[in-house]
Amino acid sequence: MSIIAQAQAGVSSGESTVLNIQRMSTEDGPGLRTTVFLKGCSLECGWCHNPEAVSVKPQVVWHARACIASRACDAACGDDAIIRTDSAEIRIDFSRCTLCGKCVQDCPSAALELIGTQWDVDDLLQEVAKDESYFETSGGGVTISGGEPGLWPSCVTAFIEACKARGYHTAVDTSGMCSPAALKAIASRADLVLYDLKQMDSEKHRDFTGQPNERILSNLQRLAVQMREGGGPTELWIRTPLIPGATADERNIRAVGEFISAHLEGLVSRWELCSFNNLAGDKYRRLGRSWTFEGTGLMTPEQLLRCKDWACRSLRDASIVIATGRTRIECAGDSVRESSS
Amino acid sequence: MSTAAATHFDQAMKTPHGLSPRIQWLRDYFFEGVGREWNNEFSCWTTGTPWDVLYDEIAYYIVPETYAFFQPFISSTLQAAEPVELHPDFWDWSLVERRAWFIRKVMVDCVPQEILPGDLLAGARFNILASRCWNEKEARERNELVLGRAGLRAAVKWFHDHGYGNTGPTSGHLIPDHARLLNIGWKGVYEDLSTRYSQLSENDRRGSKGEQLRAMMTAAMMPRDLAARYSKLCAREAEAERDLERRAELEKMSVMLTRIPWEPAETFWEALQALWLNHMLIMSDENYPGPGVSFGRVDQYLLPYWQRSRAAGMDAEFGKEILKCFWVHANTAYDAMIRVGGNQGITAGFGQLMTLSGLGEDGRDMTNVLTYTILEVIDEMAPILEPKPNVRLHRNSPEQLLDTVVSMISTSQGAPFLLNFDERSMAGMLREAKEAGVEELINESNVHEYAPVGCLENTMVGNDRSGTVDSNLNLLKAVELALSGGKDLLPAVDVLTGEESPLTQDGPRSGDATAFESWDRFMRAYQEQTRYIVEKCVQVYDRGESIRARFSPTPYLSCLVRGCAEKALDITRGGPELNFTTLEAVTFATTVDSLLAIKYLVFDEKKCSMAELLQALRDNWEGHETLQAWAKFRAPKYGRDDAAADEMARYVMELWTGETWKHSTTATGRRFRPGMLSWNYWVGDGFIMAASADGRPQGQFLSNAICPSNGADINGPTANVNSVGKALGGRAGDGFGDWGEYLNMLPNGASHTMTFNPSLLRDDEHKEKFKAFLRAYCINGGTALQVNMIDAEMLKDAQKHPEDYRHLLVRVTGYNAYFTSIGRELQDEIIAREMHNAL
Repeated sequence: MSIIAQAQAGVSSGESTVLNIQRMSTEDGPGLRTTVFLKGCSLECGWCHNPEAVSVKPQVVWHARACIASRACDAACGDDAIIRTDSAEIRIDFSRCTLCGKCVQDCPSAALELIGTQWDVDDLLQEVAKDESYFETSGGGVTISGGEPGLWPSCVTAFIEACKARGYHTAVDTSGMCSPAALKAIASRADLVLYDLKQMDSEKHRDFTGQPNERILSNLQRLAVQMREGGGPTELWIRTPLIPGATADERNIRAVGEFISAHLEGLVSRWELCSFNNLAGDKYRRLGRSWTFEGTGLMTPEQLLRCKDWACRSLRDASIVIATGRTRIECAGDSVRESSS
Repeated sequence: MSTAAATHFDQAMKTPHGLSPRIQWLRDYFFEGVGREWNNEFSCWTTGTPWDVLYDEIAYYIVPETYAFFQPFISSTLQAAEPVELHPDFWDWSLVERRAWFIRKVMVDCVPQEILPGDLLAGARFNILASRCWNEKEARERNELVLGRAGLRAAVKWFHDHGYGNTGPTSGHLIPDHARLLNIGWKGVYEDLSTRYSQLSENDRRGSKGEQLRAMMTAAMMPRDLAARYSKLCAREAEAERDLERRAELEKMSVMLTRIPWEPAETFWEALQALWLNHMLIMSDENYPGPGVSFGRVDQYLLPYWQRSRAAGMDAEFGKEILKCFWVHANTAYDAMIRVGGNQGITAGFGQLMTLSGLGEDGRDMTNVLTYTILEVIDEMAPILEPKPNVRLHRNSPEQLLDTVVSMISTSQGAPFLLNFDERSMAGMLREAKEAGVEELINESNVHEYAPVGCLENTMVGNDRSGTVDSNLNLLKAVELALSGGKDLLPAVDVLTGEESPLTQDGPRSGDATAFESWDRFMRAYQEQTRYIVEKCVQVYDRGESIRARFSPTPYLSCLVRGCAEKALDITRGGPELNFTTLEAVTFATTVDSLLAIKYLVFDEKKCSMAELLQALRDNWEGHETLQAWAKFRAPKYGRDDAAADEMARYVMELWTGETWKHSTTATGRRFRPGMLSWNYWVGDGFIMAASADGRPQGQFLSNAICPSNGADINGPTANVNSVGKALGGRAGDGFGDWGEYLNMLPNGASHTMTFNPSLLRDDEHKEKFKAFLRAYCINGGTALQVNMIDAEMLKDAQKHPEDYRHLLVRVTGYNAYFTSIGRELQDEIIAREMHNAL
């Protein structure tokens, strides 16, 4: 729980650390959306494809492909945190980096990036308002994702209120791993909650994410009660990442389905099965971390369909199941290509 | 081994479907190219004089690739020409009468008439290069103006070699009054002309007005005479035909052709037959295949004929077959130079544009059954280049239309049509009306009748020639001249001889940029140089315009455009009611980004001195890689929905469009109006223009029309669209724009290309999202959008196995092109753009 406490104590209500703002997002709720990714997560999932979102602190990352080896960073860093491993390659020593941002400022090719910047609600609102027309025509809006938005209840609620005042549809994408009060505050204001159910076996959940799942499940049950009592959100989507060897097995998927049937009957309008995405290897390297799932390939379309089938059979109303994400396609002879169907 | 068949990509390559055996045969036959027994290759016809000229290079000044070939074209066409027996009085007539008579003679008596097996439309060969019909004195005078050291050709070449762009009055690029022609027939036109002629004073009859009207009367009889020939041919073929069904068709065609296009059309078949003949003869008259000779709103003016014939029992599928024959005919424009190049003369260079849907009176949507029928024809015939369709969208376009549009986009690589956006486009047309004081001709109550020509260039219909690709100016040249005080940054190189020109003071002395102490001072120099490059372009254009007005009348085309008969003035002399010529700006984003970079590097962040920047540009950034990186990656850029950068874009737009409106042509009184087409100049001129301050080295492409520089739009499609809308003027805060709240500084419109990965349209839910994107484009975006839905991997495979992808179409600048026929650099750029978007 320490990270939650830290977040709640350490950050003023007016600002939050934003990792990234993705415009014209088509995958985070209905319509065309602007997704605000907050930095800081209460879980550490082995498969995470946004590893830069895990730490609550800003971080400096180095994009090897953008580097022109100007060596401006060597001179800029006063903390000896830039370690030159090669004439054209560096590594950032995070134990020394003080996040002063000088190397980022002096990098001519934007190869160094400080991820995680402070935004206050007004600025954030101004930024998302740029796509107001697209929200209107598509029934879209703003999604707050992470990291874990539940770590920043006061600024997230303030931002949701501000968005709603402008008439934007709002969604929150949560792992459920946050305080019940925080989740209640956020979920009661949002139009849509995207709630992750990753692994129903608590032991396995701990193995893969660093935390057991009891709080996630109890939070979700509380949310169900809240919804039944008419206390918003108006819509609930469940999301299950399909990770080979971790979540994408029949037992787990059936267990998720059974939980939905037992506790969320009639409340869930969509259950998304999101196939494993292997594009994050680069991100881990940039953060100087190794990745458990480095060597794991994409699922085949057949595997994805099988998962979908298990999910459908575990529910009374199979129409809520949707399988998305990239799968692989075998090519004539040579390499394996990706498809996104 | 062919991988195209074996490999699954995110999308399948578009293939035609649902074609009847007749159409399948015609379509396949067309693509046999040089292997065909029949083709529509240019045939050449001369008066037989030693000074005769067939190839009028002025029409090709906007095609710099042809400069090197002018002399061979001129000599070889004359050499290949067959002499035509002239009327005994021929040389006593005025030039315009000679030309009208000559074209009619060639088309009716010299060029053979043929009908392809199963074809439902007559009118096959139309590509001719005919004598300009000059007498010796005219030829001498004209050649003096064009050739020689001080001639126009040298001036145009100088303009191009020094990186300004290209300019010259070219053919086509208008929408004739086809609706009137179908309605009253050539008989009606002829009667109108003779009435006007009879009303002329004796003096006027002897003068240029009389000459013009007599020439137009001659031209007005050409379609009748040609149709009569085809009627006889159909009758002969019917007699010999053993298939009874086909015989009946030929008999019907034979009868039909005795009536139309002289009489008004009555049935859908007649209307299409008349439209085809009327249209193809424009290309004959101008001696130029398919140059933006556009059809306008076909689903509107052909609808009554469609309905009448349907009510009388015409099968809808048969109606579509006639349309498909029309499609095949339009594509034979490419036969003109069928023996040239690797793709059998198919160059994507033509633009017989037709417009579908759009707004009508009182904000009504005009989508109808024929709109959908034509969209079906497009889908079933695709991929094919001509005619080029443009679908007009607006805020209230029906769901069904958007469903059809998005579904067609999802199965084609380059969307099989361009999308035009009414609100922004009409705002531009009303801006034009105000700027030029022609509100009686373009106003709130008729502006919805506008339609695009060529690729996407908006004009009014039937009375408007706006010379929409006549001048193509590189705005970036003004930045270069501001940096170097009015001289070229690097000596211009003659591409033919490799010779370098000495640096001369071409532009105004706008000051020594290395001594400028403020950004404002630099901007003053930039303004001065912008004024100069616009003036320079106008001057060079004006010379060509005057020469064309004097020596190259097109009396047949003049019959089809309102204003010419009324004024008894040829279209080339300013006859149309709406008389503009368009200055199309090229390199917009490169210009804006270069200004932003100079401000950022030299004045705001002081990363270098102006002298250092100049040196880096002279060295083509070599040895200045760090500074180049600052310019490329750290300086602000247009296309990111960044308020400050987009304000610079808006400022640049206001400046150059303001300069453009100041000018008119001297001989013909055509007002210059602004637009952004870019055609393919942004590719070729990238090799001519020096390195630019945005970090672009010489040899890299310039920016395309109104698009952000390649790779600059890092905030995604919506940011890209918003920037484009803002650069055009955005929407008025008080609600009082040019049309509604919409502002638009470019009446011609601007080409905007966006590339998406096909996965964006993978299911119905995502198609709905894309529909919403298009609806929002109506609100925030530009005047016209072309969509590429391409899978980078498929394109890479096409580079490796071009033989499997001969028919793969991609969108370039307002037009579709066969991917395998475009240069490797352009291929790579299209792939890079898709990869960039996928990140």
